[in-house]
Amino acid sequence: MNQEASNSTSSLLEKDVVDNPDFVTVGTITADDAAMTCRNVDVHYGDKQAIYNVSVDIGRNEVIAMIGPSGCGKSTFLRCLNRMNDTIDICRVSGDIRLEGEDIYDRAMDIVLLRARVGMVFQKPNPFPKSVYDNVAYGVRLHGLTKTRAELDEVVEKSLKKAGLWNEVSDRLDKPGTGLSGGQQQRLCIARAIAISPEVILMDEPCSALDPIATAKIEELIDELREQYSIAIVTHSMQQAARVSQRTAYFHLGKLVEVGPTDDIFTKPTHGLTEGYITGRFG
Amino acid sequence: MSTSRQLVQKTLGKRYARERRFRWYGALSILVGILFLGFLLVTTVSNGYKAFVQTYVQIDVDLSAAQFGGEITPESIAAANFDGIIKDSLRNAFPEVSGRTDRRALYGLVSNGAQYDLREMLLEDPSLAGGVTPVWLLADDEVDVFMKGRIDRNEPEANRRLKDNAIGWIDQWVDEGRVEKRFNEPFFTNGDSREPEQAGIFGAIMGSFFTIAVCMLLAFPIGVAAAIYLQEFAPKNRITDIIEVNINNLAAVPSIIFGLLGLAIFLNAFGLPRSVPLVGGMVLSLMTLPTIIISSRAALAAVPPSIREAALGVGASPIQTVLHHVLPLAMPGMLTGSIIGLAQALGETAPLLVIGMVAFIVDVPTSPLDPGTALPVQIYLWSDSPERAFVERTSAAIMVLLMFLVAINGFIVLLRKKLERRW
Amino acid sequence: MTIQGEGHIFTRFDDEMKELHSIVVEMGKLAIRQLNDAVETLHREDPEKAYDVINNDSRLNQLDIDADDLITTIIAKRAPVAKDLREIIAVGKIVSDLERAGDEARKIAGLTIRFHEGASRPPSEEILRDIYSLAEYVGRMLSRSMSTFDDLDVEGALEVLHMGLKLDDQLQSILRHLSTFIMEDSRNVGNFVDIVLGIRALERFGGHAKNIAGHLVFIKHGIDVRHEGTNAIIESIQKQ
Repeated sequence: MNQEASNSTSSLLEKDVVDNPDFVTVGTITADDAAMTCRNVDVHYGDKQAIYNVSVDIGRNEVIAMIGPSGCGKSTFLRCLNRMNDTIDICRVSGDIRLEGEDIYDRAMDIVLLRARVGMVFQKPNPFPKSVYDNVAYGVRLHGLTKTRAELDEVVEKSLKKAGLWNEVSDRLDKPGTGLSGGQQQRLCIARAIAISPEVILMDEPCSALDPIATAKIEELIDELREQYSIAIVTHSMQQAARVSQRTAYFHLGKLVEVGPTDDIFTKPTHGLTEGYITGRFG
Repeated sequence: MSTSRQLVQKTLGKRYARERRFRWYGALSILVGILFLGFLLVTTVSNGYKAFVQTYVQIDVDLSAAQFGGEITPESIAAANFDGIIKDSLRNAFPEVSGRTDRRALYGLVSNGAQYDLREMLLEDPSLAGGVTPVWLLADDEVDVFMKGRIDRNEPEANRRLKDNAIGWIDQWVDEGRVEKRFNEPFFTNGDSREPEQAGIFGAIMGSFFTIAVCMLLAFPIGVAAAIYLQEFAPKNRITDIIEVNINNLAAVPSIIFGLLGLAIFLNAFGLPRSVPLVGGMVLSLMTLPTIIISSRAALAAVPPSIREAALGVGASPIQTVLHHVLPLAMPGMLTGSIIGLAQALGETAPLLVIGMVAFIVDVPTSPLDPGTALPVQIYLWSDSPERAFVERTSAAIMVLLMFLVAINGFIVLLRKKLERRW
Repeated sequence: MTIQGEGHIFTRFDDEMKELHSIVVEMGKLAIRQLNDAVETLHREDPEKAYDVINNDSRLNQLDIDADDLITTIIAKRAPVAKDLREIIAVGKIVSDLERAGDEARKIAGLTIRFHEGASRPPSEEILRDIYSLAEYVGRMLSRSMSTFDDLDVEGALEVLHMGLKLDDQLQSILRHLSTFIMEDSRNVGNFVDIVLGIRALERFGGHAKNIAGHLVFIKHGIDVRHEGTNAIIESIQKQ
């Protein structure tokens, strides 16, 4: 195998994507039943463009995994979906992102309401420095979703059960959430997100700080949550993407190279860059 | 392998020696610091501890009814000439003393505040009156200083304010057991006075208390609010950059400038009264604000962004995010910054001088609007006084100021601990 | 089996794939040599040599086991995906096809022993000519498959698939030809069954070569061609 020749093969492939302004994503960007649709999304950080013309659907009751090398824009794109990027002054998002047909960047869209409908779980488990109970109840109280304490109790219990955490914490609801193990903290964050019954849950590398067992539990949980929520997950672990998702999107340097059913992406990806990345040939 | 091992081994000795040297430098610095601090404390305490006791003399005072116009009533007690009564009693104690100069020296052995104390005593307990009663009276500061051994009786008489005859009378009293050192209560309950034995620190304590209270009530909320706005909400542009640079500069501006500013604005422009702790507090809060803002911003910046994301992610508005999550976490850090600011303010003299808190005020202030002075100013005033008795009082006041500082710091540290425990 | 694009970031992965590759290549060479040797023993009427051929088959079996071990290890350690995964899966099948092809070659060697050690009269050279030509044909199929394996040239694989289609026709004509021999001389009947079994073995040998070509298409394009008609396969490849 001639190393130089093969290098040029992949750099040719890369050129074809990166230097081509008319590059079109390979594969099927649409979902059978879309909860969110994104069309021609561009993101700029000041003068620097981070996302180029990304179009993809988030399907209802499915997990879509976003993979790609560091700095490929997958997290940036995820954060467009609940306007988390608004907190960054120099970040500009253009394009059309719709949640159930409503333009989320429209003036009429309330950002608080949007974030109640599109929940988020972050890379590092970030429970509030409050009790387990208050962590889950916070969003519920904030949005006034329950009227009585009994109702609130019920929501908290249900959310913790859904997050598979109830058995582990039911006897220490008043203990600090930060005292739990990393995996438990992350499941607490998931419980916090689902307590306000979102339609879509965004997960930004939710297992990157966890050990394999905790990771497995979260992955199992994601698979269960799929029945009720639409989930978009950014992950560095290709195996994780393969395990939990139904569709996979491969990002490269701000462009969405390929989207398709996970089964296809991991057995016979169409684009050479996708192939090179998932087989561990560059990245 | 073995060569690299040998090479490393060669350098090891040097490396460890350097590390040991460095530790020694550090320990040495600490030691020097402790020495200086110890020196300060030792001189202050050794100078000042005697101010906490005060010399009293027992005098048989003629309190027969005749002295009160025949009848002993609260009115007649209030109207009586205690100065005369005490002088009479002193004359009676040493009948051999004659001549104006000697008599004046004799009268001078007892504090001229003693008459008021005696009146108070009688008003409280009228039963003391009605005959010749031995009463403990506050001695003059010279007597006090002599009793504390700070006047050398072997010195030539001309160099002493306390002359030989006075020393003779004191010796006689001492022999009769009529001289006693008691806890110096007036020092902690009186305001300032020209007479060292009557001068107290309480007025200055109250003045400082009100000043600091006003300063804290103004500077802390304003500083925290400004910090929150600048850190969390303000757009990053040229104007906020300029504001930030200026705040940092303000922290380095000499305090006297703030005093002059206060003079110009609060006194001249707004017409607020001079010498009051309210204005003092306002001036000090101007001075403390930059410190509080800078440290509060640092505390806010130290709150992990993940907490903000978590709150925003469940749909909290930016202000809810700050109030519910960021502020509670930053509060301990903010309090630490405030301690530094307040400690600085508590020790500040210059701006208070400018706005007139240096005036001689005998009355203890009871509100921020009463004229008053502050502890550091009091220390400054006393250190400038010629009477020897003020030397020890200056040191004692320094000790009180230090205690005051420790108390405030302790309070805030406790508060911080309490807040920190809320994980 | 060239790897397009640069090598893996884990160079040990590449090394293991290369090792697997060389095992397959060796097995391919060995299977072809076994076939040629077996046919030669038939031609030279040399049962001694035929025993050697039969013994040599154990070498193929051993390589098959080695390859399977290596595949298990690679899957466990590298969790291959996409083309790597297809390659590993396909190679697993290719080695078992090669091992079985070796078994078929062994059967031909067994024919030599039966013809020339037994008491019966060996078949005439004329009758055996059909076996020689068929052996040459399937040998070519396998060597074409193996050369395709080296460069993953789908054209080569399609060629083998085409050859597989023709193999059936050839078989029919050989059988017809054989029956004329029987009609000519009824003494040939005794060897007829053995010869048919030999032809059958060679046909299987060709089938394995064709299977290997199918696996190569799977590696290249990710479509499984085993149970589709060759024409349909060609169509779907051209679509991509």
